[in-house]
Amino acid sequence: MTTATTNIAARAVDAWKVYGSGEAQVIALRGVDVELEAGHFTAIMGPSGSGKSTLMHCLAGLDALTRGQAFIGETQITGLSDSGLTKLRRDRVGFIFQQFNLLPTLTAEENILLPLSIAGRKPDPDWYKTVITTVGLGDRLGHRPSQLSGGQQQRVACARALVAKPEVIFADEPTGNLDSRSGAEVLGFLRNSVRDFGQTIVMVTHDPNAASYADRVIFLADGGIVDEMLEPTAEGVLDKLKNLDVTAGGA
Amino acid sequence: MLRASLKSLFSRKLRLTLAIVAIVLGVSFLSGAFVLTDSLGARFERLFTSINQNVDVQVALSDDGQDADPTPRITQAQIDAMAALPGARSVSGDVSAVGVIPFDREDGKPATTSGAPQIGGGVLGDDPFALVQLADGRWPSTDDEIVITRYTANQTHSATGDRLRVFLPEVNEAREFTITGTAVYDGDRDSLAGETLILFEEGFAQRTFYGQEGLFSGAYLGARDGVTQEQLREQVAPIVPDGFEAKTGEQANEDAASEVQAGLSAITTYFFGPFAIVALLVGIFLIFNTFNILVAQRASELALFRAMGASWGQVTGSVLIEAVLVGVVGSTLGLLAGIGLGLGGSAALTSLIGAQLPGAGITVSATPVILAYVVGILVTVVSAFVPAIRASSVPPLAAMREVNRPDKPLKALTIVGLVFAVPGIALLILGLVGSSLTPLLFGSLLTFLGVVILSPLLTRPLAGVIGRVVGWGMSGRLGVRNALRNPRRTAVTAAALMIGVTLVSAASVLGESFTRTIDQTINQSVGAEVIIQTNTTGGPPGEIGFPDRATEQVRAVPGVDQVVPLYVSIEARVDNAAPPFGGTFATDDLAVMRDMFSMKAVEGDLRTLQPGEFVADENTFDSRGWELGQSVPIQLDKGAEQQYRLVGVYESTPIWTDTLVLPKQAVAGFAGPLALQGYVSLDDGADTDAVVDGVERVMADYPLVTVGDRSALLDQFDSFIDIALGIIYVLLGVAILIALLGILNTLLLSIFERTRELGLLRAVGLNRRGVMRMVGTESVVMAVFGCLLGIILGVGLGAALSSALIERDFLTVIAIPWVSLIVFVVVAAVAGVLAALWPAWRAARLNVLQAIAYE
Repeated sequence: MTTATTNIAARAVDAWKVYGSGEAQVIALRGVDVELEAGHFTAIMGPSGSGKSTLMHCLAGLDALTRGQAFIGETQITGLSDSGLTKLRRDRVGFIFQQFNLLPTLTAEENILLPLSIAGRKPDPDWYKTVITTVGLGDRLGHRPSQLSGGQQQRVACARALVAKPEVIFADEPTGNLDSRSGAEVLGFLRNSVRDFGQTIVMVTHDPNAASYADRVIFLADGGIVDEMLEPTAEGVLDKLKNLDVTAGGA
Repeated sequence: MLRASLKSLFSRKLRLTLAIVAIVLGVSFLSGAFVLTDSLGARFERLFTSINQNVDVQVALSDDGQDADPTPRITQAQIDAMAALPGARSVSGDVSAVGVIPFDREDGKPATTSGAPQIGGGVLGDDPFALVQLADGRWPSTDDEIVITRYTANQTHSATGDRLRVFLPEVNEAREFTITGTAVYDGDRDSLAGETLILFEEGFAQRTFYGQEGLFSGAYLGARDGVTQEQLREQVAPIVPDGFEAKTGEQANEDAASEVQAGLSAITTYFFGPFAIVALLVGIFLIFNTFNILVAQRASELALFRAMGASWGQVTGSVLIEAVLVGVVGSTLGLLAGIGLGLGGSAALTSLIGAQLPGAGITVSATPVILAYVVGILVTVVSAFVPAIRASSVPPLAAMREVNRPDKPLKALTIVGLVFAVPGIALLILGLVGSSLTPLLFGSLLTFLGVVILSPLLTRPLAGVIGRVVGWGMSGRLGVRNALRNPRRTAVTAAALMIGVTLVSAASVLGESFTRTIDQTINQSVGAEVIIQTNTTGGPPGEIGFPDRATEQVRAVPGVDQVVPLYVSIEARVDNAAPPFGGTFATDDLAVMRDMFSMKAVEGDLRTLQPGEFVADENTFDSRGWELGQSVPIQLDKGAEQQYRLVGVYESTPIWTDTLVLPKQAVAGFAGPLALQGYVSLDDGADTDAVVDGVERVMADYPLVTVGDRSALLDQFDSFIDIALGIIYVLLGVAILIALLGILNTLLLSIFERTRELGLLRAVGLNRRGVMRMVGTESVVMAVFGCLLGIILGVGLGAALSSALIERDFLTVIAIPWVSLIVFVVVAAVAGVLAALWPAWRAARLNVLQAIAYE
């Protein structure tokens, strides 16, 4: 669906998100403008309360902006009905969450095919084989989530997001609940899917090491974009974050 | 600790409300039965008080006198002697009989009441006790004059001056009288309780009811000023004739009222009892499940208590305190509902009687109140016991993090279930082989409990199959998987429905078997084309029915071939033991009866019986251990015990099992001389309708007698079974209602627990309809699972009971009512959908973001 004239997979224009009112009012996003390129691995970082998760939720059609617009490709998602958003998520977006990512009643294979089953579509057999081979779950496909390790579960979740070939995959702290080795496996896998298959991935994380797998890191603080970094390294990201904490703490 | 558990109690009002509903229903049926009985009883007590106003001493037949033959009477001389007593101000001899039935002047049909007596009495002039007063006209002074009450006049569409046809008992014929006046009761009331009353000239009444003038069936005395009821009673007592006793007016009222109340209590118990039992039984499952759910939801809260040092006992106690509170609230509401039920029931019954029973408001004695609370609280606490123990086993660690507590293996459950089911099935088989009912019933109960306990094991195989049928599409499949993921929870939820369905399926099988059996038996073995029957609510057989003279008239109707009149005694004691269950019969010619009913001789001969001879069916013969030619003592309703010689044994069939047939001469010892039923066969080529008309004309004088062809008889049997099944279907409705709440409860819990899963499903593109379908499918699987278990169990039990009855010749076939069973499944599925509506709506409205957001 991405048009030839632009290679922007998702963008936000003057995005505002306000929770509550009066004394209890919290402004999570203050007029954010951001464009996320297709075929790239973008990480969104920032301290707690910076609005990074809110930005991702609004871009993914899970939450609605208070003001401004969000787009997936050229489709404006702001103002879509619940069924419109559902259809959008089903057909054009993939998700990877931090935890409780799989349905315990389904086998690994059924979990992977869940979005396609819901949409009533058949998987492309070649692509399915490729995905399975990439995540390395060949002999575990018949297992239930409770019989898999945390890393294996998250790889199943990655496979689920990939198999439907969505325009963009949103990953919310995908390594938050994993040990460092499993985390590295999952991140490597995500990066490879961008390099080898041209998948677009947007990842929210607070882990500089995870962010170093991305092509580009966007830094948020106090509901606004404060900086960005291309071809990041873990050390570089960490330094940026320290600065942010200082400025945020000082403000 | 108490404070903490109270606080958490109020925060979960909704879920507890569902549990309370079960208690409310059960307790309301229970207390309603008592309130209704007491309130009606109070009304009757007022009624008797008003009947006996101004009466200080009543002389009436004693228990012995009622059984004596001939019935003792009081003479005019004895009445005069009572009048001469120093304490007596006035005396009135009682001349009365029941079964005096007037005919409606408009349609010529008998004007019957719905249960209230139809009384005839004798009067000389004004009632000395002023209970009945003339409203217009004058008292009767000749044999063909009567006075009727205003209610009777309304019922028969007649007025003073009209001629009215009245059926007279004892002489058993209808005659015409001139109405010389109408009467009302004290206070200008048309009737006391919907009864009809016809007053004859006293001498005529005595001759008609007692055979000669100057006889009375009792006496009423009024005391002089300054003489108490007890003093007058003591004066009367020495001169009371044999077979009579003197009671004070107060005592007489009390005795009469308590007799009525005993009868009422039997009716209300039989009617409300099953409802209360089913509601409470199903309620146990609902409450058990609710508390399990609450404990599961509160795991972290309970763990926090434990972590802060609350003891094992305190945690268990906190759950039990909740149970007690739920029980108290449920019992209170149930009691109030029960009082409402009693009020409504008493109003409904009063209007059914169609009369002005004196109002006495509503009577709530201590019994229903105590019972309501004891039963309500006990049921709740017992049901909550296991969940309470489970609550205490929550590890303190659960406060800190999600502790995964896997489902306990089902092994222990299996063993316990088998401990019930195996002996249960053994007893069932024993009962079937030995054709004895006690092991059969115990076996059924144990098997039932066993299956309830084993039902979690059956969840995967059985509900899996159901799921394959109803689980369409991805959301359907997910719903099925959800139903299967916690077998215990699904099974307990389904068990609530299973109870009701088991009862109803078993009853349906029995009902269908009875209907088929009766149809077959009557069509194959009853040779009568026209059947004469008597409405047995009108009195005991013998006192109601038609006399021999009517039988002779029927024999003379053109087209009639043979007539078999059947005289029935239900109280004959045979061989010093209980009366035969099927009844003791007499007829004028056994040979004709044998042909009419295709009776087959097993031993001896079925010929016309001579005095002192009898025949019995094979079951009676075997079970009483008789031999052909043996003499057996038989004590009939009246007269001395007599020896009868067994001359024949006939094959037992559903209409002739546990029965005796005596010769016509024995009817002298029956409660009365009337035949209860008549079976008429026709000449070849005779027109059935014409004969029915002819017989109807003969029977027109006998108010309780009806005439019909064979299909009318079948319809009558079928309608009995339909009424019984109707009550059972209402029972099913109650059980389904409570089971629905159980499903609702379970679904709400499941949705709560699976919030994140729902969020994930919504995030990856499942729309609201899909979510609702998923929840609905889970619900339907649970409901149909419970229904199928109930049907399997119920049909099994019904068939077992039926085959035991076949063994005893009450039935000939086992019939499975397939259509009804399919309807049950459909109803269960619909119920499942209904139960899912609200939970599904909630699940669909779930905020996706909140569902997947993590702390």
